[in-house]
Amino acid sequence: MTGRINKTLGLLIGAYLLVFLQSHWQGPRLWLGFQPDLTPALLVCAGLTLGAGQVSTSAMLTGLWLDSLSANPLGLSVLPLFVVGWVVFTFRELILRDELVAQFYLGTAAGAAVPVFQVWLLWLIGATPLIGWEMGVWWLINALLCGAAVPLFARLAKLLDRWFSHPLHDPNRWPNENRQIVRSKH
Amino acid sequence: MKRFFYRSQQTAVGAVLLTVFLLLVMPEGARARLKSAIGGLFLPVIGISTTGQVALESLGQLGATDAESFPTNQALGQAAGAPPTPAELQLDNERLAEENRQLREAVEWERRIPWETKLARVVGRDPFNWWRRIKINLGSNKGVQFNQPVISTQGQLVGRISEVGPLTSWVLLVGDPNCKFSALIKESRSQGGIVSPRKYSADPRVVELTYLPNDVELRPGQAVVTSGLGGGFPKEIPVGQVVDSWVSKNGLYVEARVKMHANLNQLEAVRVLTRF
Repeated sequence: MTGRINKTLGLLIGAYLLVFLQSHWQGPRLWLGFQPDLTPALLVCAGLTLGAGQVSTSAMLTGLWLDSLSANPLGLSVLPLFVVGWVVFTFRELILRDELVAQFYLGTAAGAAVPVFQVWLLWLIGATPLIGWEMGVWWLINALLCGAAVPLFARLAKLLDRWFSHPLHDPNRWPNENRQIVRSKH
Repeated sequence: MKRFFYRSQQTAVGAVLLTVFLLLVMPEGARARLKSAIGGLFLPVIGISTTGQVALESLGQLGATDAESFPTNQALGQAAGAPPTPAELQLDNERLAEENRQLREAVEWERRIPWETKLARVVGRDPFNWWRRIKINLGSNKGVQFNQPVISTQGQLVGRISEVGPLTSWVLLVGDPNCKFSALIKESRSQGGIVSPRKYSADPRVVELTYLPNDVELRPGQAVVTSGLGGGFPKEIPVGQVVDSWVSKNGLYVEARVKMHANLNQLEAVRVLTRF
């Protein structure tokens, strides 16, 4: 139970800091010319490792935080992030989720799908975002960055889990000092 | 257990869909208040980040002063061994003269303008690339109001206030699809309207000036200023320079591309016109 709470808390704090950095850290905008959005990668990570409630909570909060710091209508980003997290969560048993390549492909696909979904929703509600073909390059780079971010987030989550959770009790672990028969001369 | 698992999944999906639906059907005013409240959750980290940045800057200045007060042995040796050449001295002199001119201009500009302004620090930006907005560290507590014009520290047009919170405000930058205003060619006094480029441009400084009369003579480099029509912006705020022009598809008016003076990607501080 404590482990689950730790994971949820870690995910939400991570999402909060990621949204803050995306809005307030100008470095990427100056180096790349655009602001990358890595929240889809976070949702892929949540979908691969956490439960249904955690995926939906993180999608809801991340989407609301992102929209509160942008001109998007409030709640617009929730649905694309939730769909990405939920699809990964539903099919995760069919995916080699511990493989780096699988994580990279999932992150890239999510990073490509979420902005398209968001722009489509904006058009649907009659908003006029500034879109052009030159953004295609950014879209591609953003997708690749998301792909690279998934393994990174997964490693970070494992590291934090090791630091803040008790190790699982595994009586069948080998070598097990409690059950080992130590033979002596006598 | 399996039944509970499926039920919890259904509850999660239902909760998300219900939240999105409620947010979309919520009245505009309530949604804006909720948005402001959720955005307020970031105020503590904004405060920590701004304080840290200021502390780092002051530390950097302290470091620079120390280094200047106590030059290294190597620097002393260089100074003693090799005096600067006349060419180096001339370059240094030119740099100082340019700096002096810029500072004089800034002081003169502040004396000349008839408006009351408040200096604000840029603390954030819209995380989505399809909107152009910045967040400043002044809110209603400092007298900032909706629709007040915002200019750069050099006096060039930047945008207008679009949302006001208690401690921070959002500025809609020129070039955002929602920031349109009346402008004129300074030389010929021909009026038109500034709009964002039709499609996304990698250079955020390029905007379009439309609805210019057909008989206007446009040349690259002509200055564009605000016209003051509509009362949103005061008259004669410098906007930019004409890059090129063309007749609209239907032949009824002339359009021009304008390169803005203010570099919107590198704004660190701006001035809000509180009285104009």
